[in-house]
Amino acid sequence: MKYALYLGCAIPIKYPGFEAATRKVCERLGIELVDLPFACCPPPTSLKMVHYDSWLALAALNLCRAEEAGLNMMTLCSGCVNTLKEANHTLKKSDSKRRKVNRILEDQKHHFKGTIEVTHILDVLYQDSVIEKLIKEKVQDLPIRIGCHYGCHYFRPPKIMYPEELSESESYVPVKMDHLLSIIGMEPTEYSRKFLCCGSPLGANTDKDAGYAIVKEKLRYIQERNIEALSVICPSCFEQFDMGQIALSRKFKNLAKIPTFYLTQLVGLSLGMSPKEVGVDVHRVKSKKLLEGIGIS
Amino acid sequence: MTVKIWNFFPREALYECYQCARCTGSCPALEVAPALGPRETILKCLNLGHDQVVEDEKLWVCCTCNVCEDRCPQKIPISDLLVALRNSAARRGNIPDKLKIAIELLAKTGRSMIVHQLDEMRAHHGLAPLLPVPIDEVREIFKKTRLDEVVEF
Repeated sequence: MKYALYLGCAIPIKYPGFEAATRKVCERLGIELVDLPFACCPPPTSLKMVHYDSWLALAALNLCRAEEAGLNMMTLCSGCVNTLKEANHTLKKSDSKRRKVNRILEDQKHHFKGTIEVTHILDVLYQDSVIEKLIKEKVQDLPIRIGCHYGCHYFRPPKIMYPEELSESESYVPVKMDHLLSIIGMEPTEYSRKFLCCGSPLGANTDKDAGYAIVKEKLRYIQERNIEALSVICPSCFEQFDMGQIALSRKFKNLAKIPTFYLTQLVGLSLGMSPKEVGVDVHRVKSKKLLEGIGIS
Repeated sequence: MTVKIWNFFPREALYECYQCARCTGSCPALEVAPALGPRETILKCLNLGHDQVVEDEKLWVCCTCNVCEDRCPQKIPISDLLVALRNSAARRGNIPDKLKIAIELLAKTGRSMIVHQLDEMRAHHGLAPLLPVPIDEVREIFKKTRLDEVVEF
């Protein structure tokens, strides 16, 4: 099992701990990762809104680089997977858009062919063979009441993100993270408005406080169910919850904070890695007490 | 220069809207900020024409979460409409400052994040330095797509 690792911008630059955890977890589970010189995806929340043609062409460049290496792409971020999957889908389907993009790329000696697929680390880990290996390699259960937050761009629009897995009404309700976490002994817990946005793009593009107001709303539903920690698969969602709770607690003195983890950090802990190895020690909302409570230090 | 948004979005799709407001009722941005909301955006496009809509700053107050499109009983591709409207708005100078700065950074560096003391930080997590971005290719692409007509960099 071999993938071109698409790191994106936020993870290797802002949250290298997620990258470290992912690399170690993949190595243990027999997933080979190849590094290639990619550019920004670019985000569905910024460049796509401002200049669609530039967005599509830059996404095509990244897709071409993976195609040239003959590898499917594995992303670590909901935004990256959204851009790259949609661009891949659009360019495979539309002859006119593909021709236009290939005219832009021809001087750089790239040519989009449409030979690869784009996937997310969650879908990679969810494959049967990887789960079997995980069950064998697991050394520690993590009995924590965990709330999953998937990130809107990971699964919407479903007809592009998961065309093979749609329900009869053509909708898609993500469950893979919940299932995966139950395999490592966690207690995935449902909460109201689980698929409500984290508010990150709203904060980034227009109004930071409005973005955090959504976090506050989500936290209320999460704490209603006595959830002890959150699991995310996107660095923007992570920042929104981790930094967001610090920002909110300055304004609301009695705010109870809960730690947020990136998926592969939790998988790493269950494989016996230390909190420092998977990089949770640098998170703003600390998880030391929670982890010590289940015998991890 | 104006761009016809109907090159990017099928105008007839708007006539499918019966203003049920399921989209607007699901909109997280509208819960916390003065957003335009998808229902009103469509109505204004129909009644006033999209010219009026693209001049409105509230057009940008959005999570881009796609819930509106997901829940539309008429299956109107609302996200495509919003992308087309905002592309047109940006071209006319209606673009939030924060977004403009983000695009400038992306155009100059090929990344969406400012790199600062990166090697040390990555070494703390036992990681090798990050591979360089193929910046010449990125610049060449943006030159050809004429991104600078919309955002100067």
